[in-house]
Amino acid sequence: MLRAFLKKGDVISGAVLAALGVFIITQALAWDYYTLDGPGPGFFPFWYGVAMVVLSLLLVLNAARTDSDGDKAGVDWPATGRAMTVWLAFALSVGLMDFLGFLISFALLAFFLVAVIFRRPFTTAAVVAVMSALAFHLIFPVALSVSLPTGPFGF
Amino acid sequence: MEIASGLLHGFAVALQPGNVFWCFVGCLLGTIVGILPGLGPAATIALLLPLTFKMDPAGGIIMLAGIYYGAKYGGSTTSILLNIPGESSSVVTCLDGYQMARKGRAGAALGIAAIASFVAGTVGVIGLTLVAPPVAAFALSFSSPEYFALMCLGLALVVLLSGTSLLKGLLSLLLGLWLTSIGTDLFTAQSRFIFGQATLLGGIDFMVVAIGVFAIGEVMSSVEAGEEAKVLPVPRGFRNLLPNAEELKACRFAFLNGSITGFLVGCLPGGGATISSFIAYGIEKAVSKHPEQFGKGAPEGVAAPEGANNADTGGALVPLLTLGIPSGGSTAIMLSALVLWGVKPGPLMMQESPDVFWGLVASMYIGNVVLLILNLPLVPLFAQILRLPVYVLFPVIFGISIVGAYGASGRIFDLGLLVGFGLLGYAMSKLKYPSAPLILGFVLGDAMERALRQSLMMSQGDLMTLVQRPISAIMLSLALVILLIPLFGWFNRLRVRAITENG
Amino acid sequence: MNRRELLVGTASALVAGAAGPAFAQFKPLRPIEFVVHGGPGSGNDVFARTLTTIIDQEKLLPVRMQVVNKPGGGSTSAAAYVVSKKNDPHVIACFTNIWLIDPMVQEAATNKLVDMSPIARLVVEPALVVVRADSQIKTLKEFIDAAKAKPGALKMSGGSITSRENTVRQLLMQLTGVRWAFISFPSGGERIAALLGGHVDLMIVDPSEAGEQVRAGKLRVIAQVNERRLPAFPDIPTIKEAGFDIPNVPQMRGVVGAPGMSTETIAFYEDLFLKASKTAGWQKFVNDSQLDGEFVKSAELKPFFAKFEGELREILKAAGAKVVR
Repeated sequence: MLRAFLKKGDVISGAVLAALGVFIITQALAWDYYTLDGPGPGFFPFWYGVAMVVLSLLLVLNAARTDSDGDKAGVDWPATGRAMTVWLAFALSVGLMDFLGFLISFALLAFFLVAVIFRRPFTTAAVVAVMSALAFHLIFPVALSVSLPTGPFGF
Repeated sequence: MEIASGLLHGFAVALQPGNVFWCFVGCLLGTIVGILPGLGPAATIALLLPLTFKMDPAGGIIMLAGIYYGAKYGGSTTSILLNIPGESSSVVTCLDGYQMARKGRAGAALGIAAIASFVAGTVGVIGLTLVAPPVAAFALSFSSPEYFALMCLGLALVVLLSGTSLLKGLLSLLLGLWLTSIGTDLFTAQSRFIFGQATLLGGIDFMVVAIGVFAIGEVMSSVEAGEEAKVLPVPRGFRNLLPNAEELKACRFAFLNGSITGFLVGCLPGGGATISSFIAYGIEKAVSKHPEQFGKGAPEGVAAPEGANNADTGGALVPLLTLGIPSGGSTAIMLSALVLWGVKPGPLMMQESPDVFWGLVASMYIGNVVLLILNLPLVPLFAQILRLPVYVLFPVIFGISIVGAYGASGRIFDLGLLVGFGLLGYAMSKLKYPSAPLILGFVLGDAMERALRQSLMMSQGDLMTLVQRPISAIMLSLALVILLIPLFGWFNRLRVRAITENG
Repeated sequence: MNRRELLVGTASALVAGAAGPAFAQFKPLRPIEFVVHGGPGSGNDVFARTLTTIIDQEKLLPVRMQVVNKPGGGSTSAAAYVVSKKNDPHVIACFTNIWLIDPMVQEAATNKLVDMSPIARLVVEPALVVVRADSQIKTLKEFIDAAKAKPGALKMSGGSITSRENTVRQLLMQLTGVRWAFISFPSGGERIAALLGGHVDLMIVDPSEAGEQVRAGKLRVIAQVNERRLPAFPDIPTIKEAGFDIPNVPQMRGVVGAPGMSTETIAFYEDLFLKASKTAGWQKFVNDSQLDGEFVKSAELKPFFAKFEGELREILKAAGAKVVR
């Protein structure tokens, strides 16, 4: 069951990496391959681009060659969905940091994680969010002078 | 004997109450700096530099050095507990350290890290005391072909880090090689793969990649279980909080390996603690009787790299103190500090400033003891972090990751990269691509390319130079051996698997 | 002009005249950001922090001045940051040659030094041309002759293709028609190690980096790269004196302000740094670091940038770097 997904995953990832390899090769060809002074900036990228294409195609071939177990169950979508939701929340939080600063954006992220992903009551979520955001703020920018993104309020 | 008298003189200086105090302050600060990602020893030393102007040089350098090697002790803490490297050279400790924590052996891992750091750190100082001049000469004899061979040896270790799929390990490595080439080519000022972003001209920061792939990737994997996500088991009972005799016995060779590898690679101006910790880990796995345990929580897998990154400090001080040549950010600042104090680091330092020179060396013996005493009791304390409920711990991990990624450069762009690498780390773990080769490729790729191009420039295009020089020839042959032997095993296994699947 | 405008005009002129010396018109109200393009501990960072400490100790400013590190892409991150703070009189930066060079060779580095507000040039960094002490080469002429005998065989270590040492190499090679290799190393330590280890033959290096090796007798100085001889090396000829008349390429460090600074603000900072440069503490730092502390004022700086940029562009093209701007 897992193997079926992996197989499909291998095919997809192999294809993506092969595409990346091709991209690398085309970029590398635009630069000097070998100059008077030795290998140029295009030398290494060209070769590891080639290696990437070759190996990823091998991977795809390998994956396509072995028979599927006939089982279509595959991926545990709810689980992956949860992980991706968390990732989206993280990405959004980072996106907000430029505008609202670390304190608020992080508090929002923490609140979301506790309330939605871990299904704790709203009060718990709020407490965790506020306390952890404050702790980070006090330890890093205030006590240690390690800068964190600031928003319009100065924090 | 000159060394003995020098050392005695050094202890006389180092044991003065004022200097002992500064040593302690440095070690404490260093430990804190090491524990917290986002705070690096180089930055801290630079910030404290103006404060030290009023101090006497011996005390000042003793404190700054304390921060430098102290940070190596603390760096393993978040690596083991949270899979977040506290310091770039602690990234290898994440591999087995975090896995040990997952098995409930967090305390043991932290203890082994501290002990390995102490043993190797002390060996490093002994090396600095006894064999500094010949080691400095050795360091100077290393030219670009030797660096290239060393990097090849390091990369050959990828086959040992790939787990079950060599193919995926190699692809992971290539991805790392690509990521590290993003930026500006040193030789031609040609910008590569920057996608028009001026911010990428300086390349991607290693910590951003490491924290993203390791920490964020891991968090995403753990969150899959939702509210049932489990935290790492908290070690219960005093016996479980520290390494047991069996684990310590298993690490005997690792202590030695870490010490020597770290010291030798550390003395090379182009080397680095991260590189030496990878090589020590690779060597440990190569000679181990149970290599399949590595990556799953082998104590030696913690001892070797942790030892290496500590012995590295002793090694790095060899060229600094005997030749006035820094190797890396922290030593460069310490060099400026010495210059500003009027101490002249170089071949004449030992004669002209014996107080500072021997005082510093002696203080490092003291410092390593102080750090062991400081860190071991902290182990049970830190292990309690795992008691935090999962819904507090995970936000904290995000927070620490953000601080770690933002702290060095102060750019929101790096946080964006962090998000991206987090996704990459998650995708890699779902698709069963090992992440260690990615990090390995990222760390070594740049240096390897540079070394090859420098070698060819020096030999005017003659590749033979790589095998004509003895040291580089030896290392390249070793790399080849490492690559070939496991390959036989792999091909065999592939063959067997193909047979059983078809049959 | 009607009567009302004449009245207003006269009144303003009177007020302006009564306001006193130009620098009294600008007073910083917030901490001043001193932007540096290196990370903590880099050469620029130490330079800026020392300057800041001195200004602080001598109480030359009513507010705090703090060093803000903006590392990344050479000068590009710092330059981008400074330009983003246009019209903010509290943002200044410490510039070096690469602030001129990066926009010329990097497509993505769009912020030019000439668009910022020049305040002052504080120091130039001389350099030494060194070989190993056990080398046969005793003078610069001997090196050039040796390179002529074996084209491309002799090697020199240095930084990137746009670095000062490569610039000097280009100029010498153009003048003499001789060729030798340039091997780039990312850090000063590796460059010196390459020379000491015998893997390269020559190096052009800062006196502060190589000074100790010279003193210990491991390296020999065969020429100086500067307009005038350094006090620490009175017997070593400059490149010009050694018979090679190449233009001087100063490696400079100074201060610029964010774009759009008023003349009064610039005058304020110029005066601040002039005072700082005269303090005993600064003189000591400059001497200890073996720098040449000739102060150049704002008015001379702007035309200098334009001229110097043009010269560098030609040199870089000759060196084979891809000049995009």
